[in-house]
Amino acid sequence: MESKPSTGRPSFEEEALPHLDAVYRFALRLSGARDRAEDLTQETFLRAFRSWEQYTPGTRCKSWLFTICRNAFLRRQERSRRHDEIVQENVVGGGAGMEPVNPVWTSVMGVDPEGEFFDSLVDETILEAIDGLQEEYRSAVLLSDVEGLSYAEIAELMEVPVGTVKSRLFRARRLLQKVLYDYAVEMGHLPARTGTDR
Amino acid sequence: MSFLERLKGILGRGATGAGAHVRPEMISCREALSVVYEFLDGELEDESHARVKAHFDVCRSCYPHLKLEESFRAALRKAAVGEGAPQELKARIGEMLSRGDDT
Repeated sequence: MESKPSTGRPSFEEEALPHLDAVYRFALRLSGARDRAEDLTQETFLRAFRSWEQYTPGTRCKSWLFTICRNAFLRRQERSRRHDEIVQENVVGGGAGMEPVNPVWTSVMGVDPEGEFFDSLVDETILEAIDGLQEEYRSAVLLSDVEGLSYAEIAELMEVPVGTVKSRLFRARRLLQKVLYDYAVEMGHLPARTGTDR
Repeated sequence: MSFLERLKGILGRGATGAGAHVRPEMISCREALSVVYEFLDGELEDESHARVKAHFDVCRSCYPHLKLEESFRAALRKAAVGEGAPQELKARIGEMLSRGDDT
């Protein structure tokens, strides 16, 4: 019985607001700090609300919001000229190619071939490892592994070909696994070198 | 050649032929491992997906690779999904939208 807005607002609330947690989560990992993540989320929803008519009903709203969020983040980053996060692509293993056999698996095959050590790591350690990735890799892995977007959706969002999404995901996962493996060894969850006798 | 021998031959060939049809076309370990991410991400066509799944189902040396990737992904998801937006932020955005609607 209350006044019904004539614009698309009810639809915005129904479609966009349920993704607030996911957008915040993504913003937090992009920006690395809660206050910046809050600002970024707020900016995302404000921009999304103002350009709601540009949203195509029936497409994935979550993906559209992530696009706005990432663009806002990249704009801010450019503005503040923060180059400290820029890490060379070959941080680990110098030019890790698309080698099918996972080097981490080769290292743990003797003691933990199914990678159960991942489960023994505390969340903060995993989040720190994600935060240490270059933005392109971080976004790709979060959008795929955490948010469940398809390669095509990520490609559109990041404005790159699907093949680039695949290679970013490949590298991101291998980099993360290596960092987490090293950490597990350091913490004594795994012996230093195993499975190298063959 | 007796009738019985010929019959044995036909039945034998028939049985082999049927067996070959039932068995899914096996792919190599290298092929399976090279698409392990596409497989887990649900990005393969049905037919390829079935072929890769058939490989992981029977190959004892590749199966742990798949499990390792699954363990990694589960840990990642568990860590990253944990934190939702603070209530205060939700309230602020709700308020902002109400204001935005008025103007």
